[in-house]
Amino acid sequence: MSDFVTFILAIISAMLIDNVVLSRFYGICPFLGVSKKVKSSLGMGIAVVFVILVATCVCWPLYTYILEPAGIPFMDTVAYILVIASLVQLVGLFIKKYSPSLYKSLGIYLPLITTNCAVLGVVQTNTDTGLRFIDALANGLGTSIGFLVIIVVFSCIRTRLESANTPKAFKGLPIALITAAIMAIALMGLQGLFAGI
Amino acid sequence: MTQTEYLIVAIIILVVLAVTFIVSFVLYKRTPKPKGCEDIEISEEKCAGCNNESCAFYKEKDSIEVLKNKKEEK
Repeated sequence: MSDFVTFILAIISAMLIDNVVLSRFYGICPFLGVSKKVKSSLGMGIAVVFVILVATCVCWPLYTYILEPAGIPFMDTVAYILVIASLVQLVGLFIKKYSPSLYKSLGIYLPLITTNCAVLGVVQTNTDTGLRFIDALANGLGTSIGFLVIIVVFSCIRTRLESANTPKAFKGLPIALITAAIMAIALMGLQGLFAGI
Repeated sequence: MTQTEYLIVAIIILVVLAVTFIVSFVLYKRTPKPKGCEDIEISEEKCAGCNNESCAFYKEKDSIEVLKNKKEEK
């Protein structure tokens, strides 16, 4: 199988089959908190895609070429947190200074990304499982796009649920969690999709 | 490179990362908000699900609570 096919399969796998939110429960805080409106969830999803991709590109070489040869791989979490937090602050600073329109739509979500464990989870998985850089990039891309797709779809469903005739006891978060569970079951059905390849 | 040299490089990089974070954090706080963006902080739908205490918008959380209470009163 060529590297390109492996790359695409890894993206699809991380995006749908091993979805970071619904199968590993990473990033539940923004998933539930920022999914009440489609526009907000789209903004959050795009910001997460950007930060995960850049964090993957920075953290993988940092671990492979610096921390591991130095004999201090246990410092990886500290280094990743510093990278992610700095990255988020710098991106926020740039947006705040030069793009007011983007700040208006994304600015509020940038601090939230620092505490999104999906970002830390992806970079940690990339190095813990010993992936090559191209595979780590595919994993980061797939995971972040998976997060974007799931949060947007979930917000669309929640918007419709608001006008639905839901029993009073289920209104709000209870029905949202039931919806997330059904979505997780639906994605579980895709397991084994690439088993024959 | 020997392992000791790698270790020194690693420590320097970690210190640089820490300094970068502190500088960017201070600069972010000091940078004034763009015009027309003053009202984006207080939003229940955006911030209610988040408990990030280091967030620059966290101090507005009380205002969100006030908004929630007003809604409930209505």
